Amino acid sequence: MKIDCVICGKEYLDKDTLGINKKLLGESVENFYCQACLAEYLGCTVQELIDKIEEFKEEGCTLFI
Amino acid sequence: MKNFIYADNAATTQLDAGAFEAMKPYLLNDYANASQPYAFARVSKKALQESREIIAECIGAEPEEIYFTSGGTESDNWAIKGSTFSNNGRRKIITSTIEHHAVLRTCEDVEKLGFSVRYLPVDSLGYIQEDVLSEAIGNNTRLVSIMFCNNEIGTIQDIASLAEIAHKNGAIFHTDAVQAVGHFPIDVKAVGTDMLSASAHKFNGPKGIGFLYIKNGTDIISYMSGGSQERNLRAGTENVASIVGMAHALKTNIQTLSANMEHLRCLEETLLDLLNENHIKFVRNGGSVIPGNISLSFAGYEGEAILHRLDLLGICVSTGSACDSKATQISHVLKAIQLDEKLARGTIRISFGKNNTIQEARCMAEALCRILK
Repeated sequence: MKIDCVICGKEYLDKDTLGINKKLLGESVENFYCQACLAEYLGCTVQELIDKIEEFKEEGCTLFI
Repeated sequence: MKNFIYADNAATTQLDAGAFEAMKPYLLNDYANASQPYAFARVSKKALQESREIIAECIGAEPEEIYFTSGGTESDNWAIKGSTFSNNGRRKIITSTIEHHAVLRTCEDVEKLGFSVRYLPVDSLGYIQEDVLSEAIGNNTRLVSIMFCNNEIGTIQDIASLAEIAHKNGAIFHTDAVQAVGHFPIDVKAVGTDMLSASAHKFNGPKGIGFLYIKNGTDIISYMSGGSQERNLRAGTENVASIVGMAHALKTNIQTLSANMEHLRCLEETLLDLLNENHIKFVRNGGSVIPGNISLSFAGYEGEAILHRLDLLGICVSTGSACDSKATQISHVLKAIQLDEKLARGTIRISFGKNNTIQEARCMAEALCRILK
């Protein structure tokens, strides 16, 4: 399913990006952000989001598998 | 530069700078094994004795009633296993459903060896009712183990009343006071407990060290086999530097206890007032709680999401529910107080410490408002 960034329109958000949206905004989130727009919205850096994604993957979170 | 706010002091605390300085000589110079008979060991022996006296004074005990351990978990294990295995014929333990896993898992181990364990329920605020204990206890009860205050919701139990019920029925009373020691006034004689567990890193001491208070005359056997340290009850070369650090940290906290408690209440008020002023809806869990421990539930939110978003803003808190690989797991404490699942899923624990500032409480409130609006 094609999901685009609600802010910048970036197309085809990948599984990791969708996963981090759900993890940080709630599983029921309907509008998704690309990593750059999500970082800006949350007040962090893209690298910090990538670090979080890696940690969640290591924990075995199914949102990222 | 991003803020860094550490508000997870129920998990661990920052080592007191004075405690660190007090430890250094015993790591670098006076490193002798305190059990050795030569002169070089005298300084270590003296440090152990002084530390024992300081700690005893802080909780109203006698020095010979303080036994050094590796921390709260070992103290809990020893208290439970050491008293039940001393084999006086009684085969039942009573504890509560909201204990730390160091108590719950130990009780499960003892249960597997043929002892019976009764897990008392708590009310919605986390209190154990005296009549529930009175109904459960009997002449076969060896030990009652109830935590002084809960690590997740902070509720402080009426330990004196519960201990009295235990004693009336001939049982030993133990309290896991890991969250309370150094943060709340404790006099073991006034409370009437037979055993009390404590962990240094919860009161600005070093990690890997703690103590078990054992009232003189309490029937308990050794848990660690080996050397004759700690009056033949806890084997293993004494960790002198950490013991000195623990005593220093505890003494420092006790000297400023009233001021610390008042400061922590101010931090709580600041945070909660700002949330209310910003119309953030929340439920605060627990009854009369240990200062600084704030368990908040936000319906419709996920505690884990709040935790990670605060983390991205440089703020450390804890959560009452965590996502494993399959589903969100709600903590046994929140289940025990029968918190509505929607609230339980949206629960975080903020635990301020004495080093947190009013400004940090305000930043925390602002961050929560930003996340929850």
